[in-house]
Amino acid sequence: MTATPHAVIPARVHVPAWAWLLTAVGLFVLYLVTQDNGTVLSSAGDMAHEFFHDARHSLGVPCH
Amino acid sequence: MGFPTASAEVPDSTAPPFGALLAHIAAAGLVAGALSGTWSLLITERAIEPALAIEEARSATGGGDAEEMFSRTTQVLGGLLGAVLAGLVLSLVVAVVFAGIRHRLPARTDFGRMVLLGAIGFVVLGLLPALKIPANPPAVGEPGTVGTRTAIYGAVLASGVVVALLVSASVSVLRSRGVGIPMTTIAAVMVGAVLVALILVLFPHSPDTIPADVPAAVVWDFRLASLGQLAVMWATLGLVGGALVERLTRRSAPAAG
Repeated sequence: MTATPHAVIPARVHVPAWAWLLTAVGLFVLYLVTQDNGTVLSSAGDMAHEFFHDARHSLGVPCH
Repeated sequence: MGFPTASAEVPDSTAPPFGALLAHIAAAGLVAGALSGTWSLLITERAIEPALAIEEARSATGGGDAEEMFSRTTQVLGGLLGAVLAGLVLSLVVAVVFAGIRHRLPARTDFGRMVLLGAIGFVVLGLLPALKIPANPPAVGEPGTVGTRTAIYGAVLASGVVVALLVSASVSVLRSRGVGIPMTTIAAVMVGAVLVALILVLFPHSPDTIPADVPAAVVWDFRLASLGQLAVMWATLGLVGGALVERLTRRSAPAAG
């Protein structure tokens, strides 16, 4: 029961739909933080851009 | 030794439910973000300072740059928060990917699988873009080319993911034909190396030149600091995430010991 000669194939974990949604939302937020130059957020984008400016540079994301 | 046939495969019962897996990996993501944010405060910010001094010298001589929207303190705080946020979001992606490919990651324990996934994440999403389109400090970067540079950056990230999939596919093909682990590993490394070399050679370089008033050491120090920050983030995600998932797996399968 404990020792099996067979190869144990680790099970695949089912990913529920909400997890995909959550990940998509997360990536969108990350996009706003690291990429947006006013395309989505317009004037608020400038603020986000300036506030997260150091993070963009230090994470290696292209910046002006 | 051949690939185990279907009848010999024993599905294990140790797979944790996704919710618990996500919570554990997200906790590791917060730690990863906090540590990389700490690296940013202690090291990357020090590499940014000389670049900002150059920007200031420029606006002093070349006339009025616009008023800064935020103080430096606020921007440093933004750098820390951005790093934490990046760690958290990347951990969500890692959790979904880990759940999907757990059965294919070649390691014996969930700790090993997470460490491997973290290493792949660093190479594909950190090291590869850093080699092709390296990070630049403020004072470097032509505003007019940011679209082109972002497109190259995105294309490098996407093709890095494709390379990882192709390497994984070639491993599957070779293993299913009974090729041994040493030969499979050599072939996988060669496939990966050739594809990465193709990306580095064939993709366009950044259209920007480094302005003459920015010393090479300023750029180099910043690039190292930035790469180090990404390394801290991915290493923490893999190691801490692996330790947490391992504990979770052992708890959900007490019989397996």
